[in-house]
Order: sequence, then C-alpha cells, then structure tokens
Amino acid sequence: MTAIYDWIRDTLMNLAFEGTLPLAFQYGFVINALLCALLIGPVLGGVGTMVVTKRMAFFSQAVGNAAMTGVAIGVLLGESYTEPYISTFSFCILFGLVLNYTKGRTALSADTLIGVFLSISLAVGASLLLFVSARVNTHILEAVLFGSVLTVSDTDINVLLVVTIATVLVGVPLFNRLLLASLNPSLADVRGVPVRALEYVFVLMITILTVACLKIVGAVLVEALLLIPAAAARNVIRSMKGFVFLSMAISTVSCVAGVLLPMQLDLPLPSGGAIIMIAAGFFVLTFLIRVTISRFREAQP
Amino acid sequence: MRGPGIRFDAVGLSLGGNEILNGIDFEVAPGAVHCLIGPNGGGKTSLVRCLLGQMPHTGTISVDWQDNGVIGYVPQFLDFDKSLPVSVNDFMAMVCQKRRPAFTGLSKHNRALTDAALERVGLDGKRGARLGSLSGGERQRVLFAQALIPDPALLVLDEPMSSMDEVGAECFEAIIRELAAGGVTIVWVAHDLRQVEEMADAATCVNRTVLFTGAPADVLVGHEAEALFARAGEAEPGDAAP
Repeated sequence: MTAIYDWIRDTLMNLAFEGTLPLAFQYGFVINALLCALLIGPVLGGVGTMVVTKRMAFFSQAVGNAAMTGVAIGVLLGESYTEPYISTFSFCILFGLVLNYTKGRTALSADTLIGVFLSISLAVGASLLLFVSARVNTHILEAVLFGSVLTVSDTDINVLLVVTIATVLVGVPLFNRLLLASLNPSLADVRGVPVRALEYVFVLMITILTVACLKIVGAVLVEALLLIPAAAARNVIRSMKGFVFLSMAISTVSCVAGVLLPMQLDLPLPSGGAIIMIAAGFFVLTFLIRVTISRFREAQP
Repeated sequence: MRGPGIRFDAVGLSLGGNEILNGIDFEVAPGAVHCLIGPNGGGKTSLVRCLLGQMPHTGTISVDWQDNGVIGYVPQFLDFDKSLPVSVNDFMAMVCQKRRPAFTGLSKHNRALTDAALERVGLDGKRGARLGSLSGGERQRVLFAQALIPDPALLVLDEPMSSMDEVGAECFEAIIRELAAGGVTIVWVAHDLRQVEEMADAATCVNRTVLFTGAPADVLVGHEAEALFARAGEAEPGDAAP
C-alpha cells in the first residue's frame, strides 16, 4: 500500500511544485490528510443517515468518549501514543458490546443508559488521558479530542481504508434490514431479519468507524460528523436517495475543506473543529433554505 | 394458495411476573377468516406475537403449512420519527427488497410488485409521498400493501383498521374477501363488530384466556358476549400491546 500512497503523494506534490495545485499540496502530510478526508467523508455521511434514522447519535458520542480511555490504556501499556489502535479498538468494541448487552436487560430507557455510560467513559477517559499525557506528551489530549491531521501516517490511512471498505461491504447490503429492524422490530422479524444480531452489527460498525476516524475528527467530534451532514440533508430532502447522497456530499465537502482550508489560510485550527464548523455552515444553509423557500417547507413534519 | 391450519394448545404467557395469557386453546381452520376479539389489554396482540414466534410463551402453537410458509403481517402501527425523509417507495424497498439498498431505489421486479400492491390498496398516487406526511389511515394501507408481497399463505392483521378512514376500510374489506376466497388463512385482531359479523368465519374472544370461540353468529349472542363486545368496541386501540 505504501507504494501506492507514495505514488499519489509524488504525483500531487509535483503538480503543486509546477503550480497546477495550491502550494499546500507540496507537503506529504497534507496529501495524507486529504486521502483520509476523502475516505471518511462519504462513509460517515452515509452511515450518518442510518445513525439518525435509528436514533443512535448519542451512542456514537459515548463510543467517542470511550476512545479516550482506550488511547490512555494503550499508552499506559506501551503502545505508540500516535497509533494506539490495538487497545483503542479493543476497549471501544468491548464498551459498545457491553452497552448494547445492558440495553436489552435493564428497565432504563436507551438514552438514560447511554447517558450513564457516556459520563463514565468521559470521566475515566479524561482522567486517564491527563494522567498519561503528563508523563508522555502534553499534546495527546488535544489530538485525541479534536483530531490532528498533521500526524496522519500510512498506518492511519491503512486502518481507515480497511474500516471504510468493511463498512461499505457490511452496511450497503444490510441497509434495508438495519433500518427496518429499528422502524418495526416485529415486522422485521416476520420478514426474517435477525433483529438482535443486526443491532450488534450496527453497534460494531459505528464503534469501529468512530475509532478509525479519531485521528482526523477527534473523539469529541466524530459524533457530530455522523449527525450534522445527515441533519442538514434532512432539512431539504424528502426521499431516502436524496437523504443519503446529499448527506455524503455535505460530509465529504466538509472533511476536505476542513482539512485544506486551515492550512491554505494558515490558521492554527484542529482539523476536527474546522470540519464540524463547515458542516455546521451547511446545516445553517439548508435550514435557511427550508424556512425561506416554500417548496421545501412541505418537508416539515 | 392453501392457507395453514393453526392450533393453539395450552398457550400461556407471563411477562415480568404478570400473567398475560393463560390456557389458550383453540383452532383456526385452514383458509378461514378468524377474528380475535375481546377487551383491550386482554392479550390479543400478545397472542398474535406468540403466533409469530416473538414471545417466550408456554404451550404449543402448531401451524400446519400446506403450500409455502409465507406470513404477511400488518402491525398495529409504525412507530417512527415522522420527519424522516422516507417515501412510500423507500419504505416498500426497505421491507420487500433484501440486498439492494433503499437509497438506490427498487429493482424492476420489486417495482412491479410494489406498484401492484400499492394500487391494490388505492395508494398508487402516493408512491413518492413522505411516509410522515400520510394520514394514519393511509399509513396503515401502506403497511397492508407490504403484507401482500410476496403472496402470503397466512395473513396476520393486528387491528389494521384502528385509524382507518371509510375508503381505506372498504378497500381492506375487499382485499380480505379476495384473499379469503383464494384460500389464505387470515388471523385478524378486530375491534369492529359489524366487520366480524359480516366477514369472519370464526371468532375467538380473548381476555387473558379464551372466553368463547366459534362461528360469529353463535358467539355474538348472549349478554356476556354483548357486554364484552361493547367494551371492545368502545375502547381505544393501541394499549393491547405489552
């Protein structure tokens, strides 16, 4: 894979030197960040429509917080503090599975239970992370919370590539069944949909995607990128097709612009923050379209 | 099509320490229109969900399949966020299409099937409408349409007419008559006694246990029955689910 990345980097860097592309492209890390943005943009936008439909936004926030604990454990166990993937994936998957398992076995409503898990993971994650960052590198916390495109490595791109391909391979063929299972579990069951198993599949999908996107968007903001593009699309859209494709487009443009604009404009912004601010801009725009243009008002409930 | 016969044998159900059903014994004849009636909270919906294999019931429910084992199921309502951008076509794709995701549309084959089903329930003009913008009655017609794909041998209706307008009710009755004439077994949780009298081959009154079962003409007489039916008819639908 490294050879392919090198070829892409060399080609784009040459184009930048020749003046065809903006000067920012002469740096390898800019191209790495751009590759990541192009991978996560469409996938997060697409999966976001499912997250919104299945009302799971709060869950992905909890997983994002759990990732902080995962990173801290990784650093404590001696993993590289820039790529603590083994412990982060392990901890978050365990966290997601336990949360989903508990959900089916308590009288608490889903949002209360997720709120409890979210608070615990935030407290433990922040404490552990501050504890280890005092010993290793004070910038870990910042990078984990808000993303840090400057440090994207080939390993990060590989992880992201594998995770996005897996998400597409699982998410696309199961799309209808995943949604039907939450629209009406009883009907889904009659239709032969394994409702409970698919719940776990979806939870795993969100968890793995969240962890893979940490480097670019950050733990605090991954949830926002699952939520805002889909919410923005929903303002002006009446069918599933428009919903999914517009959400993917908004998410991709936000990711690419959020990675490139701060560098181009020489602003010291974290990539996650910039991406979400641009996505939020789209949300405001679609909201204004909806309230000002009568044709879109029908889309209101 | 030859619908299955169904036999409920000592079916019981307890959830969270509450006894919901106890000693349910009755038979549904193959190809019959069999109505389940009774007061709200009496366990009709729970009994239907036992039949669908979705409840940890005791006793046995044996379904004697003749042709295929296709069940068409019309749930009581669809609990969803009404602002979701899901059109009628999208919903039909989600329910009836296995692999091809709803956001890429219906395949040619499924399109023909869903078009026919929507036409049958009188909603062919609403294919592109958002599910949330439909009236409650129209939404139930969409739910009915999906139950017709593929052709069911057993149709399970859970109070499909609770929020139905007159046009919708007539259309439902016509389809139920057609399916019954074609040999489909229909288990129907009903609350409208006129419909039970006119359309059912048999009726079973359930209130935790079977109060009586038989031909509607027989079970609709008698003071006890009248009192229960009156309560069943007056009560609001929707609270029978556990």
